[in-house]
Amino acid sequence: MNPRRTFAITRRLLSQFRNDHRTLGILFVTPLLILGLFALLFRTDAPVPTVGLVVVSSPVPQLIASGLETSDALSTVRVASAADADAKLRNGALDAYLVLPGPDAEGVLRPQIVVEGTNPSVAGAVPAALQRVVLDALSSYAPSLPPGVTFTPPRVEPQVRTLYGNGDLDVLDVLGGPFIGLVVFLLVYVVTSVSFLRERTVGTLERLMATPLRRTEIVVGYMAGFIVVALVQSAEVLGFGLLVIGLYNAGSVWLIFAIELILALSAVSLGIFLSTFARNEFQAVQFIPLVVVPQILLSGVIVPVSAEPDWLQVVSNVLPLTYAVDGLREVMLRGADLSVAVVQRDVAVLIGFCVLLIAAAALTLRREVA
Amino acid sequence: MNQMAAAIEATGVRKRFGDVEALTGVDLHVAPGTIYGLLGPNGAGKTTLIRALVGLVKPDAGELNVLGTPMPNRSLLDRIGYMTQAAALYGDLSAEQNVSFFASILGGGDVEAALRFVDLWERRRSLVSTLSGGMRTRLSLACTIVHRPRLLLLDEPTVGVDPQLRVQLWDGLRHMAADGATILVSSHVMDEAERCDRLGLMLGGRLLAEGTVAELLALAGTDRLEDAFLKLEARAA
Repeated sequence: MNPRRTFAITRRLLSQFRNDHRTLGILFVTPLLILGLFALLFRTDAPVPTVGLVVVSSPVPQLIASGLETSDALSTVRVASAADADAKLRNGALDAYLVLPGPDAEGVLRPQIVVEGTNPSVAGAVPAALQRVVLDALSSYAPSLPPGVTFTPPRVEPQVRTLYGNGDLDVLDVLGGPFIGLVVFLLVYVVTSVSFLRERTVGTLERLMATPLRRTEIVVGYMAGFIVVALVQSAEVLGFGLLVIGLYNAGSVWLIFAIELILALSAVSLGIFLSTFARNEFQAVQFIPLVVVPQILLSGVIVPVSAEPDWLQVVSNVLPLTYAVDGLREVMLRGADLSVAVVQRDVAVLIGFCVLLIAAAALTLRREVA
Repeated sequence: MNQMAAAIEATGVRKRFGDVEALTGVDLHVAPGTIYGLLGPNGAGKTTLIRALVGLVKPDAGELNVLGTPMPNRSLLDRIGYMTQAAALYGDLSAEQNVSFFASILGGGDVEAALRFVDLWERRRSLVSTLSGGMRTRLSLACTIVHRPRLLLLDEPTVGVDPQLRVQLWDGLRHMAADGATILVSSHVMDEAERCDRLGLMLGGRLLAEGTVAELLALAGTDRLEDAFLKLEARAA
């Protein structure tokens, strides 16, 4: 091995890096960005579920309720009626609610726990906390009773019901649906940005610009092409997810499809738009850790947006993926359709982003050099 | 617009890219149905001028009329054929697919005639990535002429094309000019220059000298075109 020749290669590589500031930036900035996001997302304490308490004014239920109110594992609010609690659970104000009736004819206490059901960690936390509190509270309960009468703690048989899902939604069910959207978004982005970049570097784009083509025609033409690809890919991934992996789905497959399609269209426009800022395929791929990975982390797919620090939630709320993840969860886990306000919002925001990105992509396709 | 109006009429066209002044006041007049050769060393501004003629470069100053219409003008572009210096083609499409793609964007054309013109009809099913450099240049020309443009702007169209085929291509261009098409060719090759009706020598972003071959030879006082250009360049420096 000739050291001079070997080091010539090393030196040349380092010189190339020195002349490529963007690659340097990506090499040294993205790790901090991604690791920082990880820290923000996973170092924050796990959110404490908010539980509504519907309690009859009878000593033992009241005792259990005050025990739950001092528990660290839950944050509690008193709710007047089960119907009220149900409504609050549906609109997201509560993660679960607990109805504590008095003991029934057999002296058995049958609290009803209703969990929202789409968050596996909450679904387990409420019954566990109740169990602990009931044991603690009842074992230390020593009412003043006439001599000869002993206090027998009532049997407690909680009944757990879920609002959504079949009660055993696991992490895969919760992550799987949104991931279908993310996979489609990521791959469509990569394919578009690379193929559009090739169009720029080979010079065919210049050639197209010297024809009567309008730039919106180019963007829409690209989109229509990738719709075909995205349709087949979405069908494949969705079929695999639902039929082979057995992801839980309570909603309309067509609506899932529609959300994925809008997401794929945003990815096409994003790919065209960002290809302006890349000089070669290498740089286009480098945008993935900088632009796509943070979006995925902040989309609420792994850590719910509500568990992020406040300022980070603001960032999450201006990213399209956040709405896609939310929409896919609404549809797949809660069986929501287009009549549900949240789904309407998600779809509307996604379409808005899509239109915005189309405009941005078309603007980057300037015919004339300024 | 009457038949005698110029196909290209440029007056005082200037263009600056940052520190570099690519065009420093170009005056150019090309009559319809003629073949005009644009000659000059690298960096003389030939490509910038051609790109301005198709509206890809917006001049900072000056007037630019193409086929009687001020440029840039999008609706005019289907009457212009622009061939870039590098063979800009889709490598994963066949030769025929490339030509028909450009035909459909430019409002139709005779794909077979265009491929026969550049002698690539037999190779129409070959993927561009399998064609040689010279074949790609010819295919690029086919994409440029497929819609029978009234004005052809060819940026170094014969690079890498062997001499025999080059003669054939020039005969073809001559036919198109006889049909009324105007052709502007930039070139380095002097034997090509002699086939042009008029020549313009570009240097430093402007037209240094202009005329027929005989006029330029007389102007420089030589009998070889190559010497004429070297002399005229030296005189300008």
